[in-house]
Amino acid sequence: MTEALPDFALARPATVDEVMAALQGAPGAALLAGGTDMMVRIRKGLAAPGTVIDLSGIGELDGIERSEAGLRIGAGVTLDRIEDTAEIARDYPALARAAATVAGPSHRTVATLGGNLCLDTRCVYYNQSHWWRQSHDFCLKYKGDTCHVAPQGNRCRAAFSGDLAPALMVHDAALEIAGPEGRRRVNLSDFYVEDGAAHLALGPQEIVVAVHLPGGGRVSDYRKIRVRQAVDFPLAGVAVARDDSGDGVRLLVAVTGTNSRPLMIEPIELPPGAAADEAVFAALDKRVQKAVSPQRTTLIAPHYRRLSAAALAVRMARELL
Amino acid sequence: MHHSFGDPARGFAEADLVREESFDCAEINHAQMEPHAALAEYDPERERLTLHSVTQVPFYVHLTLARCLDMDSSRIRVVKPFVGGGFGARTETLNFEIIAALLARKAGGKVMMHLTREESFLTHRGRPRTQVRLKIGLSREGRITAVECEAVMSGGAYAGYGIVTILYAGALLHGIYAIENIKYDGYRVYTNQPPCGAMRGHGTVDVRHAFEAMLDRMARDLGLDPFALRRANLLTAPLFTPNGLMVNSYGLGECLDKVEAASGWAERKGRLGRGKGLGMACSHYVSGAAKPVHWTGEPHAVVSMKLDFDGGITVLTGASDIGQGSSTIVALAAAEVIGIDLGRVRVVANDSVITPKDNGSYSSRVTFMVGNAAIEAARAMRAKLIDAAAELLDADPADVDCAGETFFVKGSSQSELGFHDVAIAALAKEGTITVKGTFTTPIEAQGGKHRGGAVGSTMGFSYAAQVVEVSVDEATGQISVDHVWAALDCGFAINPLAVEGQIEGSVWMGMGQGLCEETTYLDGLPAHSNLTDYRFPTIADSPPIDVQIVESIDPLGPFGAKEAGEGALSGFPPALVNAVADAIGLDANVLPLTPDRVLEALIRQRRSQRRKEAAE
Repeated sequence: MTEALPDFALARPATVDEVMAALQGAPGAALLAGGTDMMVRIRKGLAAPGTVIDLSGIGELDGIERSEAGLRIGAGVTLDRIEDTAEIARDYPALARAAATVAGPSHRTVATLGGNLCLDTRCVYYNQSHWWRQSHDFCLKYKGDTCHVAPQGNRCRAAFSGDLAPALMVHDAALEIAGPEGRRRVNLSDFYVEDGAAHLALGPQEIVVAVHLPGGGRVSDYRKIRVRQAVDFPLAGVAVARDDSGDGVRLLVAVTGTNSRPLMIEPIELPPGAAADEAVFAALDKRVQKAVSPQRTTLIAPHYRRLSAAALAVRMARELL
Repeated sequence: MHHSFGDPARGFAEADLVREESFDCAEINHAQMEPHAALAEYDPERERLTLHSVTQVPFYVHLTLARCLDMDSSRIRVVKPFVGGGFGARTETLNFEIIAALLARKAGGKVMMHLTREESFLTHRGRPRTQVRLKIGLSREGRITAVECEAVMSGGAYAGYGIVTILYAGALLHGIYAIENIKYDGYRVYTNQPPCGAMRGHGTVDVRHAFEAMLDRMARDLGLDPFALRRANLLTAPLFTPNGLMVNSYGLGECLDKVEAASGWAERKGRLGRGKGLGMACSHYVSGAAKPVHWTGEPHAVVSMKLDFDGGITVLTGASDIGQGSSTIVALAAAEVIGIDLGRVRVVANDSVITPKDNGSYSSRVTFMVGNAAIEAARAMRAKLIDAAAELLDADPADVDCAGETFFVKGSSQSELGFHDVAIAALAKEGTITVKGTFTTPIEAQGGKHRGGAVGSTMGFSYAAQVVEVSVDEATGQISVDHVWAALDCGFAINPLAVEGQIEGSVWMGMGQGLCEETTYLDGLPAHSNLTDYRFPTIADSPPIDVQIVESIDPLGPFGAKEAGEGALSGFPPALVNAVADAIGLDANVLPLTPDRVLEALIRQRRSQRRKEAAE
């Protein structure tokens, strides 16, 4: 049978303050932007929000503004706009490239920056229909008490699969979050938690309002491993940026798709005048392989995701160093 | 199933090179665009049932409904509306058709069932996982001296068309190359999974994959070019194969010439540098099963045609257009034979109370059988019109012709009659004109006398050759298909646009099976039953496909045509595997070649290389 939507109340706030009020009045409400992932989950019975808060009417979420400090991108900016904004492609190339690799072109016309950063974690035991999960007694992430990926463990291993987070992390992005106590800023790399069932450090009444990128920009890149060249979530996604602001060269690397959160890898540091040799690339390969811990959350083998993440990091490092 | 033709033992004894390998091809699903759906309506007062369903085989659904609901078949009406694809998923009566009908009767009203994508995957009927053990003997010149093949298919919990699948796999070892000695052992195994069934290229694909991959490796062993090896084994039509299959037309040699030239094979093969490669393979498929699944003794196809006061030609056919364009073929045949504008022809298809019975759209039977029936009906219609025109023109009917909707005496330009004048004269004689045409397969086309000999039997085979160019990323195992050149002998292209589309579609579906499609079960449950985890290629993965049509003009085909919708599929996976071997020296024996499998195989290859070097 068609997977029908459950009943819910729809709120359509016009400002971030009104979102706060709506969240206060309806605990457990879902924030809806592009809906490309959330609507699928609601139809599959993976979420049953009594209230859905439609964010599409909030002007503040929709802007890209340049300031002295850098660039502020509203959480509601769509991925195709990020992909097509010349300034982003010039100063933060990894971000534009990451946006261009998400799902398919039609998704990107509605999917948003905030939605991609707050994307639910994914697992082959979780993204299934109700009867399927029920026949497994559900799972640790939702309605059950066992993680079928790692039954001995006590936490959910579902993988974070957003493409944009690593690209923003290698550019030292920070999030602007609105909540009952007012606005706060948090470094994007501190926003995620290694727990597939609770991977966002976001309060129940908080909302991501914008992303702040420091000025100056960096040479950077993003690539992802996937079976098909469209639609697929990253089996592993890697962002790399070259930072020349200090004395030597620093290579920043971040990985998505392999863990319950996107990870910063310990950066490669080259002293002034030093050239990147094979030992540097071998060290990077080892660092990535050691840092990531892919699990059986996809139908493609974990070991492959580890190897290919390292291979992408080394390939981009060779091009940037 | 166990078949042996010729003397395989002697054939292997005579061979200069014998190679034996095992292949493992994953189970796949059709994943047609439209999930299954049916609308059933029961009229309790008249005790009648009407079922609208997405089926490819309304006639078989009709019979099965009558049995399952214990109703007289005259009380049942089956309608097939426009549908969003089939590819074999709907060649047997399916769960939702029976359920919707039973519920409608119980409710005394209308019941509609829309299956979700997941439920469509569970209904399945896809291509079974097939393990192939293949042994081929070759002479030094590349001539095939003997073949021994064992196929094991994991079929799911019900037989369905499984017997046909396992028989096709063996029968279609024949009919493409000249092979006298063939032994085949096929095992179709029940497994605790959704049932497999017919899927585009029914039965032949996985065995053809193994065969063409092995031929490539043996060509390498013998120092022969893969094209030369195929050319050493071409058939000369007309002939009957050792298992009794009739081959009247054979354009494989021309297909080989075309893709060899178009791909620049001679100049480019082996010279593209590490990581890039070219591979080729051949394939074939039947133009309809010469013996129908449900044997009634009736003609294999019937087409009715009607001319009425409006001057329109209405063609009534039970052939199921599932997007392959069968209704267009029927209309083209009518317009061509009668000599009228295509716009005058209207096709009404698939309503059991209106259209003649048809066995359905499977085994690429429609163009050949229904096309021939349409031609015969159109000839009957034309004869009536010519008779009426002859009377008006005061001429002998034998001297009257019709072209461009105008009737005239051959060799004379004096008096011409328009279509409407002639139609009115013809109708004045007998009122509404109805004619019909039929097609019956010749007895000699119906296969050998051995058990299972009817499967694989056909009036004509399509033949295809293709070349695939790939780039392989050795760090990530990712394969990119950069270009495909395909040539298909379809006898005659009645609708060239549709033929090109069918070849592209076959290549593309073969690409899905070769690169990325597979079903996966976790603890017995399908984990793939959505379009995120069941990965068929997207348009972003689709290479340029260079298509060429070869016309061998089959003596029995409608206008010389044969099938065009399946023959080019089974060549893609082996051409891909052969191209990967050319690119990185890796002989892969599993399908699909997902990046994790490629990388794993490369790691194993490097390890054994290191061991070999250490030992030296």
